[in-house]
Amino acid sequence: MLSERSPLSLRAAAIGGLLFLHLPILLIFLYAFTTEERSFQFPPPGLTTQWFTTAWYDRPDIWPPLWLSLKVATIATSIALILGTLVAAAMTRTAFFGRDQISLLILLPIALPGVITGMALRSAFGIMDIPFSVWTIVLGHATFCIVIVYNNAVARLRRLSGGIMEASADLGANAFQTFRHVLLPNMGSALLAGGMLAFALSFDEVIVTIFTAGSGAEAKTLPIWMLDELIRPRQRPVTNVVAIVVFAATFFPILAAYYLTRGGSETAGMGK
Amino acid sequence: MTAAPAILPARSLADRLTATFWRHPRVLLAILLTPPLLWLGVVYLGSLAALLLQSFYSIDEFSGVVKQEFTLKTYAELLRPSNFDILVRTVIMAASVTLACAVLAFPIAYYAARYAKGHWKAAFYLGVMLPLWSSYLVKVYAWKLILAKEGIIGWAAERTHTSWIIDGLLSIPGLEGSSLSTSPLGTFAVFVYIWLPYMILPMQAALERVPNSMLEASADLGATRAQTFRTVILPLALPGVIAGSIFTFSLTLGDYIIPQIIGNSANFIGMAVYQLQGTAGNIPLAAAFAVVPILIMLVYLWLARRMGAFDAL
Amino acid sequence: MTTAVTFQNVSRHFGTVKAVDGVDLTIAEGSFFAMLGPSGSGKTTCLRLISGFEKPTGGAIRIFGEDVSNTPPHLRNVNTVFQDYALFPHMNVRDNVAYGLMVKGMGRSQRHAKAEEMLALVKLDAYGGRKPAQLSGGQRQRVALARALVNEPRVLLLDEPLGALDLKLREAMQDELKALQHKLGLTFVFVTHDQHEALSMADSLAVFNEGKIAQIGSPQDIYDRPATRFVADFVGSSNVLPPDLTRALGGPPEWASLRPEATRLAASGPVSGPVTALRYLGSGTRVVLDLKGTEVAALVPAGQPVPAEGATSAIGFDPKDLHLMGAA
Repeated sequence: MLSERSPLSLRAAAIGGLLFLHLPILLIFLYAFTTEERSFQFPPPGLTTQWFTTAWYDRPDIWPPLWLSLKVATIATSIALILGTLVAAAMTRTAFFGRDQISLLILLPIALPGVITGMALRSAFGIMDIPFSVWTIVLGHATFCIVIVYNNAVARLRRLSGGIMEASADLGANAFQTFRHVLLPNMGSALLAGGMLAFALSFDEVIVTIFTAGSGAEAKTLPIWMLDELIRPRQRPVTNVVAIVVFAATFFPILAAYYLTRGGSETAGMGK
Repeated sequence: MTAAPAILPARSLADRLTATFWRHPRVLLAILLTPPLLWLGVVYLGSLAALLLQSFYSIDEFSGVVKQEFTLKTYAELLRPSNFDILVRTVIMAASVTLACAVLAFPIAYYAARYAKGHWKAAFYLGVMLPLWSSYLVKVYAWKLILAKEGIIGWAAERTHTSWIIDGLLSIPGLEGSSLSTSPLGTFAVFVYIWLPYMILPMQAALERVPNSMLEASADLGATRAQTFRTVILPLALPGVIAGSIFTFSLTLGDYIIPQIIGNSANFIGMAVYQLQGTAGNIPLAAAFAVVPILIMLVYLWLARRMGAFDAL
Repeated sequence: MTTAVTFQNVSRHFGTVKAVDGVDLTIAEGSFFAMLGPSGSGKTTCLRLISGFEKPTGGAIRIFGEDVSNTPPHLRNVNTVFQDYALFPHMNVRDNVAYGLMVKGMGRSQRHAKAEEMLALVKLDAYGGRKPAQLSGGQRQRVALARALVNEPRVLLLDEPLGALDLKLREAMQDELKALQHKLGLTFVFVTHDQHEALSMADSLAVFNEGKIAQIGSPQDIYDRPATRFVADFVGSSNVLPPDLTRALGGPPEWASLRPEATRLAASGPVSGPVTALRYLGSGTRVVLDLKGTEVAALVPAGQPVPAEGATSAIGFDPKDLHLMGAA
């Protein structure tokens, strides 16, 4: 018989592994309060909350990237929600020619390294003489966000008893009524979860964005701003304050998405 | 009961459209699929085609202008020692990161799949999911804080009088650096950290599919714990490991942020692409570099498929 | 007599699979019609052809005389009780029942009143505010029934509605369904793989085999005079006699069926064999003989002598009880 209690060494290794995954992030929080602005000295020589006020009042360079990131994430998520739901709805129908190829095509933008998506878009913009803008960023983001929404929608559709759609039609509802009264209420939380994950992903994305944003100051998203600060630091704790904001902007949607789709396997397995 | 008609009249446009969808199911399918396929087909596949096209162009060495003629010259440049080094270094890094992730992920995945119950199970799942999804850049940044010379690791080593271990590691040829944050060792550690959740989840999924009864059967037949592990659990977990390795391998192959921030600024494929298309302005060579991970991943996926890894995805 | 549903040479082929193949049938208005057959025999596909979830690849279907080839499910005035009930999980019981009225544009208070009325009919008056997940299997089944009936369909389709219930509940629901059908005077089309259910509930039934109708008729017809070996085997406890045995017993060389009730034991006869099994049934004893390799059962009424197991016996019967099924 397999003993029900786990070996101590295994449990220690498992919990150690989880701590390894989480502790580094906590350091970001600690360093946002340090009084030392030039190095990452540990332990911090003193603690202060001044960097939060500095970030708020004295660093106007933070705000445009923040707004740009919010804007891009919102537009990209909206596009991904529409396109991802459409594919999911089509894929739950019975087999049709090219089904497998389509699912591969949706997966490709996140299965291949981001640098390829970025470089590919960059090449296309170059060949077609498309100037960099907010829209070139959105184009890239929406492309890899589709799969996130799609995964969530498809998992929920699969879990949903197929009978209820037929039952709706049987009771006299047309396709639009079935969509509104049966499909949408049952899909809502999965789509919301997919949308939140897509938002988190887009808000945080940097690898593809660098290739599609161009070099102008007006094309600087918050992650690009952060990357600049990492390479050429000014006030390091201010970067930590922004990092906390970015972290929160991704953390809470992820947590919400988890609770919205609990019991399913929508959010598992697939990442950026 | 009054005799209502057996066929109800269509009352609205929506009713009539629904009837059309029913009579011609392909119409609805086409309406659903056209927008997303147009998007992915034009934006994504179009871009990949552009990438491929660019990689067959070359750059005029004197003027720096892209010559739009078909040539394999740019691919030949990849084989120059300085460029070929980059490819080899990236593949070695991706392979060792994948290996390390598999080793580190196993206890977590195994514990979560076999022993964690109820709330603990949810905690483990969330504990892996959150780092997977939370901000990539913030995580990389956290490691810059950790690995810095004056950072927490240096501090801990000093307090425990183990700095000599770090110094020793940093003096190994190939891993030199003034601190962990400027050594390839640091790059490696951060890669492992960032991609670890991508290994845990498919591994856990594969392990969860091993029925307890099978382990009991093995024990029944007289296998020791170690034998059961080696002959039953490991082979059954393998598809999960391969599925996870697709992510860790592919993501390491293409990353250019981590080696830029942490490490000795030795070049990797991703960085080469980034620099060539940016400051150097050599788009054809950048494109050719970008094609390499695609080819490597195609071979990798083909091998993985033959080993049955896709059932675990 | 009006016909509710007619199938004229209807087929539904999926590629090379002939799920339904050249079916002709007529269902009278107000009847309780059962479609009986093993799984994969085409009975459920036939039901889905009536509701419109499948389209025939050949032939024509009429509902109350109207050709429905071009009518989508939502415009057919027929309703279905699904096998897994397919209740809407996000709606309470009342909204589930009122759904059909809502999509047809009936006002809120009116449709809720009608839903409550229908819930009372299926004895679930107090359950309107619950969610389907809070109900037992039997209660869900009633909700599904009420949800279909509230639309006043011309035909009610039931797809193995009792399949998920345990035996006791099942028998109670059989009686209730039958009473309800009687009370409403509605046409019920009922799919089942349970021959007892079909025989006891239906006014007439069709036995399906491999996409075709093997026999159609009243329960009595089908039980007493099975048209084919398949029907005799599937439907009942009739003895199925191969041609050579039929001939040996004095009939023509054809497959035949002979009910145990019509079979008696005889001291001597053209064919005899050993008693292989005895089963005491209260009203009599079922005696099984091995006649030339075929098991033949006879019912010995209570009070008459019963042979011991292993003893040799022959059978006798009234020739008019021997039902011939042809060479097949």
